[in-house]
Amino acid sequence: MALIGQNIIPPDLVAKVTGRAKFAEDFRAEGMVFAKLLLSPMPHARVRSVDAAEALAMPGVLGILRADELPEVNPQSEAALTDEPLYEGEPVLAVAAVDETTAADAVERIKVDFEPLPFVLDPLQSLHPKGPNARTEGNYFFRSREGSEFRTHKWTEEDFAAAGEGRLPMGEPLSEWTVGDTDAGLADADLVLDETLVHQTLTHHPMEPRSAMAYWQNGKLYIHTSTQSTAQTQAGVARALDLEMDNVVLIGEYCGGGFGSKIRGSTIQVVPALLSRKIGRPVMLRITRYEESYIGRSRPGFQARVKMGFRSDGRATAIDLYIVEDGGAYGSGDFGTAGAVASLSYQPLNMRLRGVSLYTNTPPRSAQRGPGGAQIVGMLEPIIDKAARELGIDRLELRRINAPDNDGWVGPNRGALTSAYVREALDQGKEQFGWEEKSRLSGQRNGTKVTGVGIGLSPFVGGSSGYDGLVVLRPDGKLYIHQGIGNLGTHSIADTARAAADVLGLPWERCEVVWGDTSKHLPWTSIQAGSQTTHAHTRANHAAAMDARRKLQEIAARELGGSPRDYVTSGGNIHHRSNRSQRMTFGYAARRAIQLGGRYDGHELADDLNAMTVASAQALAGEGLIGAAKDTYSHEGGTWSFVVGFALVELDVETGHVDLKEYTAVADCGRVLHPRSLAAQLHGGGVQGMGIARSQKWVFDPKWGVSFAKRFYTARPPGILDVPLEMQWGAVGIPDPQTPVGAKGIGEPPVGAGSAAIASAISDALGGQCLCRTPLTTDVILAALEGREQPYGPLEIHV
Amino acid sequence: MAVMRDMIPAFELFQPASVEEAVALLDQHGDDSWVLAGGLDSFDWFKDRIKRPKAVVDLGGVERLRGIRSAEDGIEIGAMTTLTEVASHSDIRESYGLLAAAANQVATPQIRNQGTLGGNVSQDTRCWYYRSGWPCYRADGNICYASAPNAMNREHCIFGANRCVAVNQSDTAGALIALDAQMVVQNAKRERIISADDFFIGPGTDITRMTVLRPGDLLTAIRIPSTWAGADFFWEKVEDRKSWDFALVSVARTMRVTNGTIAQSRVVVNGVAPYPMRLDAVEAAVRGQPVSEETAQVGGEAAVRRAKTLRHNDYKVPLMRNLVRRALRGEAA
Amino acid sequence: MEFWRRAANPWGQDVLIGIAWDLMWAAVIVGVVFVAGHALYVKLLTPKQQPEAQIDAGPSAAGIPERIVRHTGAARAFHWLMSVAMFVLLITAFFPVVGIQFPWVTIHWIAGLGLLLTVLYHIWHSIVKQDVWSMWIDMKELKEGTRELGRFLKRSGESRAKAGKYPLDHKLYHHAIAVVTTLAIVTGLLMMFRVDTPLWARNPYILSDQLWGVVYVVHGISGVALITLVMAHVYFAVRPEKWWITLSMINGFIGRKDYLEHHDPERWAVKDGTPTAVSGTPGSAPLREGIPQNKRSHH
Repeated sequence: MALIGQNIIPPDLVAKVTGRAKFAEDFRAEGMVFAKLLLSPMPHARVRSVDAAEALAMPGVLGILRADELPEVNPQSEAALTDEPLYEGEPVLAVAAVDETTAADAVERIKVDFEPLPFVLDPLQSLHPKGPNARTEGNYFFRSREGSEFRTHKWTEEDFAAAGEGRLPMGEPLSEWTVGDTDAGLADADLVLDETLVHQTLTHHPMEPRSAMAYWQNGKLYIHTSTQSTAQTQAGVARALDLEMDNVVLIGEYCGGGFGSKIRGSTIQVVPALLSRKIGRPVMLRITRYEESYIGRSRPGFQARVKMGFRSDGRATAIDLYIVEDGGAYGSGDFGTAGAVASLSYQPLNMRLRGVSLYTNTPPRSAQRGPGGAQIVGMLEPIIDKAARELGIDRLELRRINAPDNDGWVGPNRGALTSAYVREALDQGKEQFGWEEKSRLSGQRNGTKVTGVGIGLSPFVGGSSGYDGLVVLRPDGKLYIHQGIGNLGTHSIADTARAAADVLGLPWERCEVVWGDTSKHLPWTSIQAGSQTTHAHTRANHAAAMDARRKLQEIAARELGGSPRDYVTSGGNIHHRSNRSQRMTFGYAARRAIQLGGRYDGHELADDLNAMTVASAQALAGEGLIGAAKDTYSHEGGTWSFVVGFALVELDVETGHVDLKEYTAVADCGRVLHPRSLAAQLHGGGVQGMGIARSQKWVFDPKWGVSFAKRFYTARPPGILDVPLEMQWGAVGIPDPQTPVGAKGIGEPPVGAGSAAIASAISDALGGQCLCRTPLTTDVILAALEGREQPYGPLEIHV
Repeated sequence: MAVMRDMIPAFELFQPASVEEAVALLDQHGDDSWVLAGGLDSFDWFKDRIKRPKAVVDLGGVERLRGIRSAEDGIEIGAMTTLTEVASHSDIRESYGLLAAAANQVATPQIRNQGTLGGNVSQDTRCWYYRSGWPCYRADGNICYASAPNAMNREHCIFGANRCVAVNQSDTAGALIALDAQMVVQNAKRERIISADDFFIGPGTDITRMTVLRPGDLLTAIRIPSTWAGADFFWEKVEDRKSWDFALVSVARTMRVTNGTIAQSRVVVNGVAPYPMRLDAVEAAVRGQPVSEETAQVGGEAAVRRAKTLRHNDYKVPLMRNLVRRALRGEAA
Repeated sequence: MEFWRRAANPWGQDVLIGIAWDLMWAAVIVGVVFVAGHALYVKLLTPKQQPEAQIDAGPSAAGIPERIVRHTGAARAFHWLMSVAMFVLLITAFFPVVGIQFPWVTIHWIAGLGLLLTVLYHIWHSIVKQDVWSMWIDMKELKEGTRELGRFLKRSGESRAKAGKYPLDHKLYHHAIAVVTTLAIVTGLLMMFRVDTPLWARNPYILSDQLWGVVYVVHGISGVALITLVMAHVYFAVRPEKWWITLSMINGFIGRKDYLEHHDPERWAVKDGTPTAVSGTPGSAPLREGIPQNKRSHH
C-alpha cells in the first residue's frame, strides 16, 4: 500500500485555513431572507395562544412558522418546533424577515401565552413515588413489538431508604442483562469495591452551530446545512419533509464539528426549508451559540453505582453496574453501550448491567463522541486504580491482567471481536510514556504541588460494513472517488478514498475526491458517526476500486490480448504482468470503457447496490469507467478500537488547581491510515475528554429549570492552555484481520482515554481518593483536600 | 415580550474624538447613554438585549484616553489602554509588576488585545442570574435568585453580601487597589480623583452599580503613584480554566520588608465579595511581623474570619485563606 | 404617573414587583398640599377661637386639678421610640430612592424590628395597663365628628364638640397609622426572607412571585402612606394651637384649661390629676388602677 499509512495534505485544507471554505451560513441565494426562533422560556409548558399580529405587521416581516405546520412526527419524537416545549430553550416558532435584526425584533413582539407544567431535572426525582414526570404522558417510552407507549416508572420509598446516605438507590430497572452469576462472582472476590458515581451531562458545542439555508426550485429542495454525513442526511431531510430523495439536493461540504450532534444534520434544518416553501424566498437560519446550547444536543449524564469484585491476583470476578441515565426531553439510552464497554475493558468473569433512562425537562441528548463509553471509562478507571492499590498490584498491570485480546468478548451476548491488541497498546504506552519511572513520581510533593500519574483505557466501536463505493475513472486519467460520507474535520473523505487509489496503484495527485453535494452523484454510505467511516469506507472504496480494476483488466485483455488476470495497474497505467510495454493509460481505458458501454461505463450495474448508488452511477454512466460495488467482504464479530491514555498532573494542594503536564495516547486501531490525522484524533478527542474530566459544565437552576451553561465561558470546554503544548501518541499498527485495509475507526475512544487518564491522575495525586464525579473542578478537589463538605451532594447533578 | 438573545438591537452610535465631546454626549444622554470601551462586557449585554442603551458612546477614537505616560509621581495609564499594552509595558513591568501580572492573566490574548484597563475595572459582575436578565436586585428588581437555598452560587460571594451576592471579577482591580491607584473621573461638571479603594462600591451603597461611576461619568485615566514602585509583589488567580475564565479567587499583594519583617503591605482579594476586598485586618495583623510561615498562617486566618458561605461556595473560604497565606509567604508574583 | 413596577420573571411571566416611586412623590405632594391647604385655610378663613379665660373660669372647672396626666412615662417612651424607628425607617427607605446612597438595608430592618418591638409593647401596654377602649370610636363621636368637619369647612362658628381622652381626629389618625404600620411590619417581616438577617435563612421562594408582588406593593403603599401620615402628624404637632398636646407627649400632662377646653369630662373623667374612666363604649370598660367606678360616678 503506497498511500495508506502516509501523511497527505487533505484536499479541503487550504480552503479551510484561508477561510475560503464555505460553511452552511456562508451561502447566499437570490432574495434570501433570515429566520429567527422563538424559544420556550419554561422547562415544560403548553402554548395556550400566540399573538403575532404586531410582529407580522412590522415592515420587512415575511411570515411565521408554527409547530402545526410541520409534518407530523411520532408522539415520542422531537419535532423542529413544538407547542408543548419540554425544555427551556426548545424552539416554539420561527419568524422570517428581510434581515436578521428585523426577524429578531419581530420575535420579541410576539406574545405567547405559556401555561407552565410540572417539570423535573433529575431522573432520581422522577423515580420518587410522588416525583414529577417530565412529560404529561409519563417518564419513559416503552418499546415493544406488541405496542409502544409512554409509561411511568417509579421506585418505592423503601428503595430510596435502602440505599443509605449518599449511595445510589437501586429500585426496579427498566433494562437488565447478566453474564454469568454476578452475585456469586462478588461473593468469590477477595476485594469488592462499591462506589456511587456521578457523570455530568454536557453539551456537544461544536465550533459551528447547526445553521441551515434552504430554497426551492421547481419543486426541488436545495438545502445547505451543517451536517456530519452527506448521503444519510439527504435521506434524513427527505424523510423529515416527506419528499422523494430526488427532490432533495443537499450541500454540506464543510462541517465545523458535530461530535455526534449532527449525524444527519439537525432537527431544526427543516425550519428554513418549510419557511422558504411558505414565503417563496430562500431562508437562512443561523443558529447562535446560545441557541446551540439548547438544541445542540448533549451527552447524557449518569448517576451510577458499581460493585466490582477482584481476586487477589487482580482478575475481575464480577462487575455489577447500575446506571440511572438522564435521557433529556426526548430520551436517550447510551448506558447500554456503557455496560458493553465496561465488559470489554475488564472482561469480568461475571457481569450484570441494570439501567433506567428517564425523560427530564432538559435539552435533548444524542450520541456524543464515544457515547456511553466515554462516561463509563472516565468513571470506572479511577476505581480500577483503587482496586490496584488495595490489591498491591501495579495499576497498569491490573489493566493488563483483565484486558481483552483477540478472543475477548463484549456485551450481553458475549459477542466476539475482530481484533484487540490492548496489551500491546498498554505495553507500548508503558514504554513511550515511561510508566515505571513516572509512577515513581506519584505522590511526590514539590512545594505545594503533588504529582499524580494516571492511566485510562478506553474502547469504542470501530466500524460497520456493507455500504457502497463508487469511483469513476475518467478519460482525463484521473480517478474520481465519490464519497457519500461527510466532511466534519476528520479527513475521512480523503483518508478512506486512498483505499481506492492504492487498489489501482494511482498516485494521490491523480485522485479527485468528490464529496459534500448530493447533486454530484454520491453512493449510499454509512453515517459519518460511530467511528464507522474509516472501516466501512476503506472497505467500500476498496470494493469499488476492485470493481474498476477488474474492468480495467478486462478492457486491457480485450485490447492487448491475454487473460485479464495477466494485467496489473501502476502509476496510472495498466500493463501486462510480464511485459510492461503491453499497456494502456487509464485515460485510454476510460475512453474504451465509454465505447464499450454496458457494465464498463455504468449502464449496467450490480444488483446488490443501494438505490441511491444506482441512481448516482446511472447519472454518471457514460462519463468514464465506473467502479461501483457493495462491500461484501467478510466481517465476523464486532470491530472495536482501543486507546490507552497516560497523564501526569501536578495538583496544587492549596488551590485544588490541576496542571496537566504530560499526556500520551496509544491506540489499537488496526492499520494506521493517516498518521497526522490519527494524532489529531487521539489528541483532539483526548482534549475533549480532559474537558469532561476537569471543567466542562452543565448547570441548571433547580427552581426554574433554566440553564446557565449556555455560553462557552460558562460551559467551560477546555482551552489550549489547559493541555500540554506537546502531547505524545503512538499506535500498535497491527492490521485488523477482518477488513481488507486493516483499519479500524478511531474517532471516539480517545475521549474516554483523555477523561479517564486525568481522573486517574487526579485521584493518584489525592493519594488514591476517588471523588467519583465529573467534572473534577477546583472546588471539588479543594473541599476534598481540606476535608470540608463537598460543594455538591453525592448524587447531585446539573451543577 | 418573547426573549431574544444573541442579536444586538439597534442603537445610536457616537464616536467622539475628544474627552470633552465624549463627556458632553454622556451628559446629554444621561441614563440612556452607555460608555463603550473594548466592548467585551458591553457587547455581551447588547447581544442579549438586556441592557438596551439608546446612545452608545464609543471611546475608540479618543486618542487622549490611550497610552501610558509618566506622571509627576508615578505613571498615568489612559483608561482605553489595552490590557496587552499594560501587561507588556516596560515601566509597568519593572516598577508595578503586580499590575502587569494581573493584566496578563485576563481572559485570552485576543481579549487582552481588545479589552482596556478602564473597561476591566468598570466591568459588571458575571452572576449568571443577573446576566440572564432576571429581575434581581441588581437589575432593579426585588430578589436575589443566587442566594436561594438551592441556587447555583459556586462563583458567588463569601463577604459583603447585601441582598446581592454577586462578586467583582476584575483581575486588575485588586492590583490597582494594592498599588494605591487613583481613578480620574470626568463628567460635564468636574474632574474627580478617586482612590481605587473608594472606586468600587458594594450593593449596600448602590445595588445596581459596581463602581462609583454614574451616568455621565467617564473614567479617563488611572494614576499609579510611586508609593509601591519596585516593592515586593504577589499576584495569583485561581480559575477553572487557564484561559478565558474569571477568577474564582484572586489575590494581589504589595509588601515592603525591612530586615525580614513586614514594614508595610496591602492585600486585596477579588472574587469573594461584590467589590475587590482590601484586607485591612490582615494588613494590621502582619505589620511588624517577620516574613514567615507563622505570619502567613495568622494572615490567612484573619482573612477569612466572618466569611459567610452560600450553598455551593464554601470552598472559597480555604481557597482565599490559602491564597492569602501564599501571598504573605512572599513567594514571587 | 406609574403606579406599579412590573417585571418579567425568569419564565417571562409578567409579575408585579412593587410600587413605582412616582407614588412616593405623590405621597409627598399629597402631604404638602394637605399641610399647606390646612395651614392657609386656618390662617385665612377660620374664625378666631373663643377667648381662653372664659373656658378656664367656666362652671365645669370645679374640682379639676391643675395638671392632668395624659401620657404616662411608659406611653411617652413608646411614642418617641416609635417615632425614632419610624423616621429611621422612612429615611432608610426613601433617601436612597431620591439619590442619597448609603448601605441602608441593615439599618432599615433593624429599625423595623425596633418598630415591631415598640408596637408589641404598645399593644401589651394598652391592653393590660391602659383602657384599650379609650381608642374606640362610637356612633355618637362619628356623628359629632361629621358635624365638626362640616362646621370647619363651612366656617360656621367654633367647635362645640369636646372629646374624651382622645379626640376623634387623633383616634382616626391612630387607627390609620396602626393599620398602615401593621401592614408595613407584616410585609416587612416577610421581606426579611429575602435578605440576610439573623432571624431566618434567606429563602426568596417561600411565596410565589405573584404573592411576593402583593407583599412588595403593600409594603410600598404603606411606606408611602406613612410619608403622608407622618407629614400630617408632624405638621399638627408643631401647630401652635396643638402645642398643648405636643407638650403633653413630652412632659406627660395637660393643664386644666386645656382639659376643660378640649375634653368632655363625661368621656374622660379626671380625679386628682389621674384619668379614670375613659371608655366611650357603654358597659365595656375594664377599669384600671384599682378604682372601682361607674363611668358616671364622677357626677
